[in-house]
Amino acid sequence: MFKTFLALSLFIACIGGAGAAESEREPFDDRYCTTCHGTEGRGNEGVQAPRLAGMEPWYLRRQLENFRGDIRGVHPEDREGIAMRPMATKLTDESIDDIIEWIFGWEYIPAEVTIKDGDPSRGRGLYGGCAVCHGANAEGNESLGAPALAGQNDWYLVTQLKNFLAGYRGAHPNDTYGAQMRTMVSTLRNEAGILNVVSYINTLSR
Amino acid sequence: MSKQVTRREFLNLLSAAGGTAAALKAGSALGLLPHTAQAASMDLLAADPAKRKVAILGAGLSGLTVAYELSKVGYECTILESSHRPGGRIFTVRHGDLIDEIGNRQYCEFDDEPHMYFNAGAARIPSTHRNILGYCKELNIDLEIFINENKTSYVQDPALLGGKPIRNIDYTTHTRGFMAELLAKSLSAGEMDQPFTDSEAETLMSLIRSFGNLTEDNLYKGSFRAGYAAGGFLEHGVQKDIIAFRDLLKTQMGRQLLDANEGDTGPILFQAAGGMDKIIEGFTNHVGQQIRYRSMVKAVEVKDAGVDISYEQDGAEQLLQADYCFNCIPSHLMTGITNNFPSQYTEALKYIRRGTAYKAAFQAKERFWEKEDIYGGISWMNNPSSQIWYPTAGMHKQKGILLGAYDYGNGELHTAMTHEQRIEAHLTDGEKIHPNYRNQVEKPITIAWHRMNHMLGCSARWQRDRSGWSHEEEDLYHALQQPINGRHYMIGDQVSMHSAWQESAVMSAQWAMADLNQRLRA
Ligand SMILES: Cc1cc2nc3c(=O)[nH]c(=O)nc-3n(C[C@H](O)[C@H](O)[C@H](O)COP(=O)(O)OP(=O)(O)OC[C@H]3O[C@@H](n4cnc5c(N)ncnc54)[C@H](O)[C@@H]3O)c2cc1C
Ligand code: HEC
Ligand code: HEC
Repeated sequence: MFKTFLALSLFIACIGGAGAAESEREPFDDRYCTTCHGTEGRGNEGVQAPRLAGMEPWYLRRQLENFRGDIRGVHPEDREGIAMRPMATKLTDESIDDIIEWIFGWEYIPAEVTIKDGDPSRGRGLYGGCAVCHGANAEGNESLGAPALAGQNDWYLVTQLKNFLAGYRGAHPNDTYGAQMRTMVSTLRNEAGILNVVSYINTLSR
Repeated sequence: MSKQVTRREFLNLLSAAGGTAAALKAGSALGLLPHTAQAASMDLLAADPAKRKVAILGAGLSGLTVAYELSKVGYECTILESSHRPGGRIFTVRHGDLIDEIGNRQYCEFDDEPHMYFNAGAARIPSTHRNILGYCKELNIDLEIFINENKTSYVQDPALLGGKPIRNIDYTTHTRGFMAELLAKSLSAGEMDQPFTDSEAETLMSLIRSFGNLTEDNLYKGSFRAGYAAGGFLEHGVQKDIIAFRDLLKTQMGRQLLDANEGDTGPILFQAAGGMDKIIEGFTNHVGQQIRYRSMVKAVEVKDAGVDISYEQDGAEQLLQADYCFNCIPSHLMTGITNNFPSQYTEALKYIRRGTAYKAAFQAKERFWEKEDIYGGISWMNNPSSQIWYPTAGMHKQKGILLGAYDYGNGELHTAMTHEQRIEAHLTDGEKIHPNYRNQVEKPITIAWHRMNHMLGCSARWQRDRSGWSHEEEDLYHALQQPINGRHYMIGDQVSMHSAWQESAVMSAQWAMADLNQRLRA
C-alpha cells in the first residue's frame, strides 16, 4: 500500500549561516505536504486541503508551478489558495520532481462523499458541457489539460467552482488553463448549480 | 457628562453581585471548582499485566502527562511524535534551533547563552492553574515570576498625543483619576444615596477617592502615583503634568492596560526559569525514552480490544498495537488521518477551528530598556505588532531577547507576509516606541503558528459565537471527551472549555485517565 521511492535524505536541506554547530542542526525536507493533505494525500477537510493521491503528474506540476509563480492563490478572498501558495514558494525544480514522484506512489482511494444537498439528476444535465474536457466519467483529459474530477473531495470541487465563478481563480493573465475553465463555469450560474453538478460528479468513477 | 447613573442601575449592580456569589457557591457544591491547594497525585490503579500497552499520539503536554502518570503505575507507554521535538505548543527557541514553520524554515541565530531564549508558544502560568503547577512542583521545575503588567513600560497609539509613547503609569493614573472624579460627582448628586446606608455610601466614596487618588473635595488634580517629573528623593518631588482626559479618551488601548491583571492574568503569573520547555524537559526526564520522534501517525483503528496505529518513521511504515490510546493530535489534522471513529466524533473534530497566533523576537545588542527603568513586562502599541515584551532573564547583562510582536486574535496578517516583510513591519512598529530600535536589535525569528508543521494553528476554537456555547457545541464537546470503546481518548486543550492554556491540556489528560480508571474499577 505504501511505497517510498527516494531516500528522504536526498532532499534534506540546511539553510542559514556558517558555524561549527551547523552539522548538528536539525535537518528538514520538503515532504511536508501530508501535514495538511492528510495521510498519503487523501485530503483533509479540517484544513480544506484536497486529495493529492491519484492526481495526474502533469496537473500536479502545473498547479505547484502556478502557486510558486504567484499565479494561483493570490486573490485576497481566496482563503484556501492563500494557505497553499507559500507552501510552494520555496520549492526548487528538483524538489517538485521529487514530490511528484513521491505522490505518484500513493494509492488512489476515491474521497468520501460529504455533500448531501445537491441534486445529481439536475447536475447530470449541467455536466454535459463539462464532459467535453473532463471526460464523460470525469476521468480527466491530458491533451486538453483538464484534470480528473471524479474521486476528488467534493467540498474542494465546490470551493474551486465558486472561486472560478467569483474570479478568485483563473483570472491571472498567465493562468492559461485556469482562464479556459473560468469561461466554462458561468453555465453553472450559482451555488445551487455548483452543488448539483458536484453531486453528479460524486456518482462517477474513474 | 449628560447621562446620570440611575438608581435602578445601581440596584442592578447590587443584585448582580449577589447573583455571582450564589453562582460561585453552586459551582463549588457541584465540585466544579478545584478544592485542593495543589494537584493531588492521581490515584490510579496499577496496570493489568495483560492490558498494559498504551499508545500516546503526540508529545504535547497532555500526551506527556498521560505517559508520566501511566508509567508510574506500570503501563508500557509509547509516544509517537511527528515532529523532531517534544512539547508541541510549548516551544522555547534557542541558538541553533530549527523553527519548523512550513514555507519559512529558520534556524535561530541568537547568541549561545543560557538567558538568550524565547518562549514562542506558552509563556505564562497563572497561580490558580494548580494542576500544571502541581507537576512543576513534582518535577522540580524552577519557577520565577512572569511580569505581565509593568507600569514603566509604554503605550503608543498614533491617536494619542500625536503618537508620542507614554508610560503605562501615566495612562492608568490619570485615567483612574478622571474616572473616579466622574463617579464621585454622580454619586454626590444625592439621589444615589438611597440604595445605600450612610456607612455604605461613605465607604464607597472613600473607595472612589482612593481609586483615583482624588483630593478631599473629590477632584483629580494629578498624582504622584505617576512618579516624579523631577526630584522626589533628596529634594521635593515635582509632579508630572496631567494628560487631559479628552486626550486619553482618544486611544482604545486602555482595555489592554486596565485588563492586564484581570481574568486569567489576574493571579500571580509564573514562568519556568530558563524557558518554558523546562517543563517539557521535566516530563521527558522520566518518559523521554518512550518517545519516537519523526513518527507521523497515518491511521488509527479502534478495535474491540485495543487500538491499532500505523505510523511512518524514516520513510517506513510501522504498526503499533496498544490496549489503550490517548491522542492529542490537533483536531483539524486528525481529520486528515485515516480512522474508523464514530461519526459524531469526526463531526466534532471537523467542527473545531483554530486561532491564529503569531510571535516574533529579536536579539537586542544591548538592554536599552533597562536604561529607561523597564525590567520585564509589556509595552502596548496600536499597530499590528501590538506588543513588545521585555525579558526578565539575564537582567543587567549585555544582551537580551525581546518579543517584537505578538498578534493573537488576528495573526493572519503577519502569517501572510514573507519573513522579510514581517521583520520590516516589526522594526517600523517598534521604532515608534524605541526610536533607535532598528539599530539596537538583530537576528530576528518569526513564528506563525498557523504554519507550524504538525500544529497549524494555536488554540482550538469551539465557539462560532463568541458570546457563548451553543447546545450543539456542548454536545459535540462532550461526545469528543468520551472514549471510543473505552479504548481511545482524545486529549489536549482542544478537549476543554478553556483552550489555549497548559492547565487545560493537563486537566484533559487527567480527566481521560480518571475516566479509564473508573471503567477499570467498575
Ligand atoms: C502563541 C501561544 C501562546 C500561548 N500562551 C500560553 C500561556 O501563556 N500559558 C499557557 O498556559 N498556555 C499557553 N498556550 C497554550 C498551550 O501552549 C497549549 O494549551 C498546550 O501546550 C497544548 O498542549 P496539548 O497537549 O494540547 O498538545 P499540543 O501542543 O497541541 O501538541 C500536539 C502534538 O501532536 C503532534 N502531532 C501532530 N500531528 C501528529 C501526527 N500525525 N502524528 C504524531 N504526532 C502528531 C504535534 O507535533 C504536537 O507535538 C499558548 C499557545 C500558543 C501557540
Ligand atoms: C498549510 C497546509 C498545506 C500544506 C503544508 C500543503 N498544502 Fe497543498 N493545499 C492546501 C490547501 C488548503 C489547498 C486548497 C487550495 C484551494 O482550495 O484553492 C491546497 C491545494 C493544493 C493543490 C491544488 C490541488 C488541485 O486539485 O488543484 C496542490 C497540487 C497541492 N496543494 C500540493 C501540495 C504539495 C505538493 C504540498 C507539499 C509540498 C502541499 N500542497 C502542502 C494546503 C496545504
Ligand atoms: C474547455 C475545457 C473545459 C471545460 C468545458 C470545463 N473545464 Fe473544468 N477545467 C479545465 C481545465 C483546463 C482545468 C485546469 C485549470 C488549471 O490548470 O488551473 C479545469 C479545472 C477544473 C476544476 C478544478 C479542479 C482542481 O483540481 O482544482 C474543476 C472543479 C472543474 N474544472 C470543473 C468543471 C465543471 C464542473 C465544468 C462544467 C461546468 C468544467 N470544469 C468545464 C477545462 C475545462
